[in-house]
Amino acid sequence: MSGLGLYTQDMLRGAVLTLELTAGGTVVSLLAGAVAAVGRMYGPKPLRALIVSYVELVRGLPAILQLFVLYFGLTQFGIDLSSLTAAFIWMCFYGTGYAIEIFRAGLSAIPEGQHEAASALGFGPITSFRRVIVPQAFTLMLPPLTNFVVLELKNTTLVYFIGVHEIMFQARLGAGNSGNPLGVYLVAAGIYVVVNVALGRAGAFLEHRAAAAH
Amino acid sequence: MLSLWGQYIGSFLHALVTTIEITVLGLAVAAVVGSVLAAMRSSKLAILRIVAIAYVDVMRAIPVLVLLFIAYYGLGQVGLTLSGVTSAVVALGAFYASLFAEIFRGGIKSVERGQHEAAAALGMGPWLQIRKVIAPQAFMAILLPSTNEISNIIKDTSLVVTIGVTDLMSQAYQASSETFQPMDMFILAGLVYLGLYLVISRALGRWELSVQRRRS
Amino acid sequence: MSSDVVVDIHNVTKKFGDRTVFSDVSLQVHRSEVVAIIGPSGAGKSTLIRCVNHLNSFEHGTITVLGEEVHGTEDHKSRPSRQTLRRIRTKTGMVFQTFNLFPHLSVTENVTLAPMKVLGLPKDQARERAERLLAMVGLSHRASAYPRRLSGGEQQRVAICRALAMEPEIMLFDEPTSMLDPELVGDVLDAIRRLAQEGMTMILVTHEMMFARDVADTVLVMADGGIAEMGAARDVLSRPRTERVRVFLDRVLRHTASDVESPGTASSITPVGGSTG
Repeated sequence: MSGLGLYTQDMLRGAVLTLELTAGGTVVSLLAGAVAAVGRMYGPKPLRALIVSYVELVRGLPAILQLFVLYFGLTQFGIDLSSLTAAFIWMCFYGTGYAIEIFRAGLSAIPEGQHEAASALGFGPITSFRRVIVPQAFTLMLPPLTNFVVLELKNTTLVYFIGVHEIMFQARLGAGNSGNPLGVYLVAAGIYVVVNVALGRAGAFLEHRAAAAH
Repeated sequence: MLSLWGQYIGSFLHALVTTIEITVLGLAVAAVVGSVLAAMRSSKLAILRIVAIAYVDVMRAIPVLVLLFIAYYGLGQVGLTLSGVTSAVVALGAFYASLFAEIFRGGIKSVERGQHEAAAALGMGPWLQIRKVIAPQAFMAILLPSTNEISNIIKDTSLVVTIGVTDLMSQAYQASSETFQPMDMFILAGLVYLGLYLVISRALGRWELSVQRRRS
Repeated sequence: MSSDVVVDIHNVTKKFGDRTVFSDVSLQVHRSEVVAIIGPSGAGKSTLIRCVNHLNSFEHGTITVLGEEVHGTEDHKSRPSRQTLRRIRTKTGMVFQTFNLFPHLSVTENVTLAPMKVLGLPKDQARERAERLLAMVGLSHRASAYPRRLSGGEQQRVAICRALAMEPEIMLFDEPTSMLDPELVGDVLDAIRRLAQEGMTMILVTHEMMFARDVADTVLVMADGGIAEMGAARDVLSRPRTERVRVFLDRVLRHTASDVESPGTASSITPVGGSTG
């Protein structure tokens, strides 16, 4: 069992990379997703159609297929991305698709009456958006957003396949070298559980704070 | 590209069978385990409730890939050597059971209390109540989220490319290294996945409509 | 009204957590007797009637229904066996305030489900029974409709048929007309009145004082965690002995009756014939 400790260290080092990828991917996805969601809801028709197709594509196809397209598929056109680059672009690409849906659902859940009330009070479109719609939508979106981060994090497991040294990569090495694959993978599972439960708690805390603020 | 597609579509469709196989079996396991968990969740025994809650909370925090590796590489260590397909079915079934448990629980909760009471007052035992009164009503609340998860399972079967099972994804991966035209192969695979999704969602949609029509 | 006691509620106490709903309540219901339970909201009237068919458990006391005994003790709430429950619930029928018809089944299916699945009646017999009952309440033309297409009064009458289809010996009514629009109340009360005339043993929780006075043999007034008064219907309702009950009746009667009635007058509810509502 002492051997397990060594591999655990390696996996924890991999966890740092996992977290970095998740953080980066989440931030970019949320920013891009927010912008695209606005375009999806209020933009001109062709833009809306484009975004809808993008979202349908990302959500309808397996994640690993999309990863392979970026890493292997693009080589057909001479584009050779490094593992890390491909992984990061993939996370942003995939994440944005889901983020758009979250924002769209949150925004459209605000009843028409709120928009009307804001206009009736004399708020211009941007102000009413900022001061009336978004704050309400924000509270609604917190649970799915917490889920989103957890999803991004769980997705990082796929990138071991293209050689990114995150948790799963280290775990596979450890499993092979230690002769104790069950132990190693259980430790890996444990690391994910700890991180994801912590994320879940953080999310719940934020939801609590947001609700209390009302 | 099209000629390449013509060459490979056969093997892709053949591999699709494995994808569907894993999906169906995984769904079956998930549905059964999920309903057991949902039942445990509303049991009068605290220990059953706690186990069910713990299962769901822990499972949802573990990536499916980890479960897949535990099933395929790990269980052999304790004497339980599973084939690739079986490992996938076990991993997907175990994971999605946690999602279905929550879906079933939500559906049952959505049936108002008065229905349970009316059925009980008529002398129906708990099993009869569920079969004839509660489940049919919970059904509608369960259908939509279940359709979501079905499409998710189909996509997750692609993870077996990591353990060498010849499903659609693996076939595409293999074909891409054979042909040196990875993009073409992945696009073909993508089309097949989308096709499968469309067929299933249409079928489910039609079934839902027929159920609704029967009810009015 | 025979001297045969069919429901014996003996020193029953019911708590929800720390709150005592009622304590040490006793009541004996005889065959063919109609008992009306009235009283202010929250007094535990519904809770008491639901203890009879054990939709609510109770903490202390004994309830005996047609020979089946259910006990509760201080540290051990009432927990009848499945068989006892089944026997009690097949011999009692309950009609709820919120009707609780099964929305996914047609009217006929609602009425035939329990006789077929619980009593094991063959389909044609169950349907015959359903047809007869629906005709009795004037709803034959709604036999294949679904509950959501029916008015409240119609739904409640179907609910009565559903309960009667089990051929119970005792009928329990939990505020059957509270959720109905005033115009629809009459048809439901008619159905209940007819049942009483045919000799059905009934326990009826209601706010309809006139109806209670008309139809009930015994009236039980529940208030403040127990029985405030109990006795013959005419007596309790016209000449209450306790101040509490008098105040309550005054308030309620002022509320429901547009014209004050003197004791002995016929009910002001005129039966509405046919299938209105």
